Amino acid sequence: MAQGKIVKVAGSLIVAEGMSSARMFDVVRVSKHRLIGEILELRGDRASIQVYEETSGLGPGEPVESTGAPLSLELGPGLIESIFDGIQRPLVDIREKAGDRITRGIELPSLSREKKWDFVPKAMPGDLVAHGDILGVVQETAVVEHRIMVPKGVEGIVKSIEHGSFSVDQVVAVVEGKDGTAHQLTMMQRWPVRSGRPYQEKLTPQSPMITGQRVIDTLFPIASGGVAAIPGPFGSGKTVVQHQLAKWAQADIIVYVGCGERGNEMTDVLKEFPELHDPQTGETLMKRTVLIANTSDMPVAAREASIYTGITIAEYFRDMGYRVAIMADSTSRWAEALREMSGRLEEMPGEEGYPAYLSSRIAEFYERAGQVICLGKDKRQGAISAIGAVSPPGGDISEPVSQATLRIVKVFWGLSAQLAYRRHFPAIDWLLSYSLYTGNLSDWFTDNVSPEWAKLRQRTLQILQEESELEEIVRLVGMDALGWKDRLTMEVARSIREDYLHQNAFDDIDTYTSLTKQYRMLRLILEYGEKGQMALDAGVNLSDVIELPVRERIGRAKYIPEESLAYFDEIESELAEQTGALINRGGL
Amino acid sequence: MADKLLRLGAVGEEDAILAFKAIGAVTVPATTEDEVTAALHQLSRQGIPVIFITEQAAQVAAEAISRYDQTMDTAIIPIPGIKGTDGFGAKRVRDNVIKAIGADILNQNN
Repeated sequence: MAQGKIVKVAGSLIVAEGMSSARMFDVVRVSKHRLIGEILELRGDRASIQVYEETSGLGPGEPVESTGAPLSLELGPGLIESIFDGIQRPLVDIREKAGDRITRGIELPSLSREKKWDFVPKAMPGDLVAHGDILGVVQETAVVEHRIMVPKGVEGIVKSIEHGSFSVDQVVAVVEGKDGTAHQLTMMQRWPVRSGRPYQEKLTPQSPMITGQRVIDTLFPIASGGVAAIPGPFGSGKTVVQHQLAKWAQADIIVYVGCGERGNEMTDVLKEFPELHDPQTGETLMKRTVLIANTSDMPVAAREASIYTGITIAEYFRDMGYRVAIMADSTSRWAEALREMSGRLEEMPGEEGYPAYLSSRIAEFYERAGQVICLGKDKRQGAISAIGAVSPPGGDISEPVSQATLRIVKVFWGLSAQLAYRRHFPAIDWLLSYSLYTGNLSDWFTDNVSPEWAKLRQRTLQILQEESELEEIVRLVGMDALGWKDRLTMEVARSIREDYLHQNAFDDIDTYTSLTKQYRMLRLILEYGEKGQMALDAGVNLSDVIELPVRERIGRAKYIPEESLAYFDEIESELAEQTGALINRGGL
Repeated sequence: MADKLLRLGAVGEEDAILAFKAIGAVTVPATTEDEVTAALHQLSRQGIPVIFITEQAAQVAAEAISRYDQTMDTAIIPIPGIKGTDGFGAKRVRDNVIKAIGADILNQNN
């Protein structure tokens, strides 16, 4: 192992000499505190090392020791329900051992070595297995069956396979390779965070990831295996949207990376998730969640790694054939960590001081998402949907992180400070946002929700667009200048905004809306628009159409529980009745 | 076309609009809101471009009149009724002038 000496310390960056045998991205241990670091640059025998822990008190001359291996994660049973820091240190275990603050140089295994898991073999002795094939399964939580896969580089015939209770470091199977070497396989495997896990084939996403959020599912859907960004100014509700997605998104596994955000936001997640129940499985949301926390007061270098840690864990579950959703809040803080390290490395700064490789790093992260056919004989499919929050300073998305993100992602949920100020949540701006998946997904919606879906969606967007044009006129010459037809359009648009797009994350019923309910709600509002227009044509006064008694029920339709959707038929017939009566009277 | 342009309508109390019959206007007597609304729709549907309405009738059906404010094919013009004017017609003209040029140039007090 290379053993060097510190020659320079600059914040979280350390320069050490005598490191000629080290390799790029090797993990090193720094000083007698054995702080964890990673090699970022090699120049002759000098290595620049980013240290994932506080470096105060370190000085030149202290030893640096390379471990000879890149930063890797432990992947195996025990990941779910855990909370890790940016380099996969188990925060709960650390607290038990060292108290509320992470002490320096603490060494704990990421996955518990004591806990026993019931391993049920799926492969038989004599089977030919290769990388990605499933050896056996472990019921990790009530909802997650952890599939133990053959690690990279192992191919051969299963010599023996156990059945029973084991910890993650005990041998559960022996595979004999072609050259006769016996591979002792445990339930745990290691994977370097910076390289993507392999798959057989990447597919075009064809089905949506249902989120239960009306503005997202209806207007700007994300595909299962898609990538989305949520840029928004401070206070516009990025974190709440991320939490909502983490709670309700139709995914088997959720990886939530809290990256450089406030500590109490992670506390919210920790407090709420064990109490909330997944609508699909009925179990608590924590039973399918992995949390990575690098809050704003934790060392900046580990923040840089946290995103990779998150996506590597996501890939591992994807390889088992699961649909995984990863939320990163926020990628801007991560980019700032990159900038800080880049500055200390004395690299030539690019736009706004960010390193020149900013966009390629962001792309690297998002490109690891997608729907794939996994390695393994059974050709199972898995998907990673990645959703990154971006916090542009001052809400101006012309800054480099937002722009680099927008080039890659296919869904853009632009949050608007104005909407947030008007208390319209989720503050996703319908005029700014877009989803490039709608084309791919329209067939799915037609088959699974309603053939009318695409038409309703189109009409909704059109009405909202018309509203913004009419608002310009109103601002210039006043509401009186609009004809009745336009006044009614404004009313319908208001109804779409307030009764449909506005969704209360803190109301038990309103927090999640199934697609069927979304369809019924939207149809109701648009039908009111059509019937109202017919009434106006028949000579009914505008105020009668606007003050139609049924509108109150339309407005409250969002609070109809999922199990009593028949209620919508009632409102629809009431609407038909009341407009019919108006029209009959309207001709006078 | 020429024939259409010449057509006039009149809505209001019977005594007030009778005189319009003499010049060939289509007259519809109406005093309540429903009657006036129906009369306006009826005349408009017949394609009559100019409808005179007595100020009293206009005031009971203000909403129905506002519908035609923004349409190009029907103009509704309030006229004094048999009891004389109460300033409704003049106020409408003044409001429109204010909206158009931003100053009240018709106010006689100035």
